[in-house]
Amino acid sequence: MIMFNFAFNSFSEAILMESQNGQSHGIYVWSVLLIVFLCIFMTFFFYKNKIKKITKKFK
Amino acid sequence: MKPIRKKRLMSVLLILITSALGSYLIIKALDSNLDFFYTPSELTDQEIPNNKRIKVGGMVLEGSVLREKTKIEFVITDYKGSIEVVFDGVVPDLFKEGSGVVVLGYLNEKTLYAEEVLAKHDENYMPPSIDIGN
Amino acid sequence: MIKKFIHQFASPKTYMFQVNRAYPYIFYFSVIIYSLSVFWGLFLTPEDFVQGNSYRIIYLHVPASFISQSLYLAMAIASAVYLIWKVKLSVYLVRSIAPIGAITTFIALISGSIWGIPTWGTWWVWDARIVSTLILFIMYLGLISLHDSFNNFEKADKFLSILVIVGSVNIPIIKMSVEWWSTLHQPASITLSEKPAIDLVMLYPLFGSIIGFAGIVTCLVILSSKFQIFRREKNKSWVNDYV
Repeated sequence: MIMFNFAFNSFSEAILMESQNGQSHGIYVWSVLLIVFLCIFMTFFFYKNKIKKITKKFK
Repeated sequence: MKPIRKKRLMSVLLILITSALGSYLIIKALDSNLDFFYTPSELTDQEIPNNKRIKVGGMVLEGSVLREKTKIEFVITDYKGSIEVVFDGVVPDLFKEGSGVVVLGYLNEKTLYAEEVLAKHDENYMPPSIDIGN
Repeated sequence: MIKKFIHQFASPKTYMFQVNRAYPYIFYFSVIIYSLSVFWGLFLTPEDFVQGNSYRIIYLHVPASFISQSLYLAMAIASAVYLIWKVKLSVYLVRSIAPIGAITTFIALISGSIWGIPTWGTWWVWDARIVSTLILFIMYLGLISLHDSFNNFEKADKFLSILVIVGSVNIPIIKMSVEWWSTLHQPASITLSEKPAIDLVMLYPLFGSIIGFAGIVTCLVILSSKFQIFRREKNKSWVNDYV
């Protein structure tokens, strides 16, 4: 069993993610990845900011 | 545990049991309305009025797909009953003979006139090189 | 001794110090595990024999939906602890988990919708799995706005924790929806009782992404709970000393 094997031969292939049935699935995979990362990043930013604001009031 | 806490624990359990019972009754009352689709054998068992919009799910029978320009005819089966489907439009990429499908449409004279065809896939994930048999 | 330990940890002050110490370890560990697993899943695994490359969304979708349900269970347990033992920290945690749960459920719904386009041929259907997940999302939002609508924290806490327990019946419904009713969503690939229906090459990065995502979400809950503790305990002297 091969555990690690690059599924794509080039960068542009990885962007397009063309499947065996000829469809390009890259747009779906990449947009989900973007949404997930944005959500996580924005939540971190949001709470860091809120904590900063509330602790400022204490001083 | 102190008696007051025991009492509170009991009320928490009571809340949980009541809400579980409540939702069980609701689900029971809704019964098969929560099902997303009928199976072909259910269709033969029950009377479903013509011209009522329904969903039927099952496997596309192997060798039953007939294509004519944009028109496509096939049979869906659950290996107990089957129904003929007529559809004019684009089927999803995963639509294949022997794979799962859910069809939205009107029943007329034992034929389903489809408005929409959705592909249903199963829980198996495998690389293409491995035989589907295992 | 156990009682003393629990009492100590249940004080927001001790919680804050312990959590601050653990935070960087959890954060770096989970970010590394998550990014490596997602990279592994997205580029180093073979494509699926039916779905092709679109199946790669599994590495983002499954952790989010799994964690969204786990967070609700955590909230239900914390609510019960609050109602029985009146531990303040417990209800702070309930309130801080809710928004994080809402975000993970949102991610699960959106990623599922996008996955649905190439595989099912539609981005939304009203089947039992999707509707129960949508209810979970609405419940998270409802609980937050319910808690914030009270002027009195005491009352808000009590209502919140009771409603969380009432709503917890939705979790087994989500889990079993694909078994009890016919759905467009496929049944579970990983179950406790059976051999996974996913090839091992695809399964290992999936486990990694679940663990990594759980860690990242833990960090978010920690941040959110810190904010809640500051908000609720701002008049206590230790908070001012702490800052």
